[in-house]
Amino acid sequence: MYGGRARVRPGRRHLGKGQLSPCAPGAVGGRGAMAAAAAMAALGRSLTAALRLPRARPGLPGMALNLYHKNPQKIEILHQVKFLHTTVSRRGLEEFFDDPGNWGEKSVKSGDSWNIKQLRGKSSEDLHKLWYVLLKEKNMLLTLEQESKRQRKPMPSPERLEKVETSMKNIDLVVREREIALRLLQTGHEKPVPGEWRHDFLGRTFWYSYKEWPIPWHLNKKHKKKRFYYLPHVNHFIRLRLEKTLRKRARQQSLERTRRKVLERKFPDVAVKSQSQ
Amino acid sequence: MAAGARRAVYPLFQRGGPQLRIFRPNFFMVAVRPGVPQPEDTVQFRVSMEMTKLDIRNYLERIYNVPVAAVRTRIQYGANNKRNHRNQRVKKPDYKVAYVQLGQGQTFQFPNLFPEKEQDAETRSFDDFRDKYMEKEKQKEEGDPRRVCKKLLCLLNRH
Repeated sequence: MYGGRARVRPGRRHLGKGQLSPCAPGAVGGRGAMAAAAAMAALGRSLTAALRLPRARPGLPGMALNLYHKNPQKIEILHQVKFLHTTVSRRGLEEFFDDPGNWGEKSVKSGDSWNIKQLRGKSSEDLHKLWYVLLKEKNMLLTLEQESKRQRKPMPSPERLEKVETSMKNIDLVVREREIALRLLQTGHEKPVPGEWRHDFLGRTFWYSYKEWPIPWHLNKKHKKKRFYYLPHVNHFIRLRLEKTLRKRARQQSLERTRRKVLERKFPDVAVKSQSQ
Repeated sequence: MAAGARRAVYPLFQRGGPQLRIFRPNFFMVAVRPGVPQPEDTVQFRVSMEMTKLDIRNYLERIYNVPVAAVRTRIQYGANNKRNHRNQRVKKPDYKVAYVQLGQGQTFQFPNLFPEKEQDAETRSFDDFRDKYMEKEKQKEEGDPRRVCKKLLCLLNRH
């Protein structure tokens, strides 16, 4: 599914509202479990390649984590049956920590963050999985950051955290675009919750989004007390408020202008250089 | 969802309504080294303030595949005794702490994430070379000490 085309799986229609859906967090839907697992592995691999270079984990030296499966033979069969040839990571709590090869390093190499154009080319299901991959990465980096703060050591490559957050923000944007497109197609509304611009009693304008009420509005005493209008004598104060904001803005702008002039007078060479570039 | 539970608008609760679900949760969980020694099977986390015990259990079981036996939480009050340059109080943010007991006999010990790495010969020699080079450059900038003395002598002679 691509950005321009507004086609999202019908099962994910409620993604827009965000609360209700037949799928729990992290749970891959039963419909395409196998294909999903394969795609997940591929995705994970690509992301791993993008974010971190070495990804071999030969068991952690400082961490005692016994596998919670008592009978390995049975598990292997299960793997073969359920996940075909793909391997699903069963590392559990180790995922809160970086690759042991990177422990104690001063810097860790990482790729770029996912930009919005790359993400628009992904299917919604892939985006859903990528979100969880990034969430785990973020948790890992936050853990590393906290531990480095505690030990008063510099965090290795803190820019990774920013990259992960940018990627997550971009995923969010793409999913929201698709939701809006689908909603426009189905209902003709852009916003998930309808609303309107209203005034309060001081003449300030704000967006009032409708919400569900347990009782009709004419029975709701508290709601009836609210005033979504203003009386004519407020007009004068609205004018004053407008003047105040305009003055404030003008003052800030003039301050900025003076500051720039002073700097240019102080450092003429730098000013010329910055203008030329 | 608007990326997460923080901005989600939940529908009015009605009996028999569907269970609330979260897509793309933006909850974080940070594993921390416990300040007070904990039992072997207990892991300490800092979690998002919005997370409940049930959320924490589901998060670990569904996303991380970790068996959870019990979850306990508390809210740590951030210190409020620092003052800034204007002598105003500066509050450190509160955070939620979760103690998770692992199921199925799992144990956990917080690893040392900053072990003393042994430098291999190549990096050490490179570091030595760099240090030497920097020293030489520094001396070059300062100039020859004997020449400075000569200059000083000249000045002294003139006066």
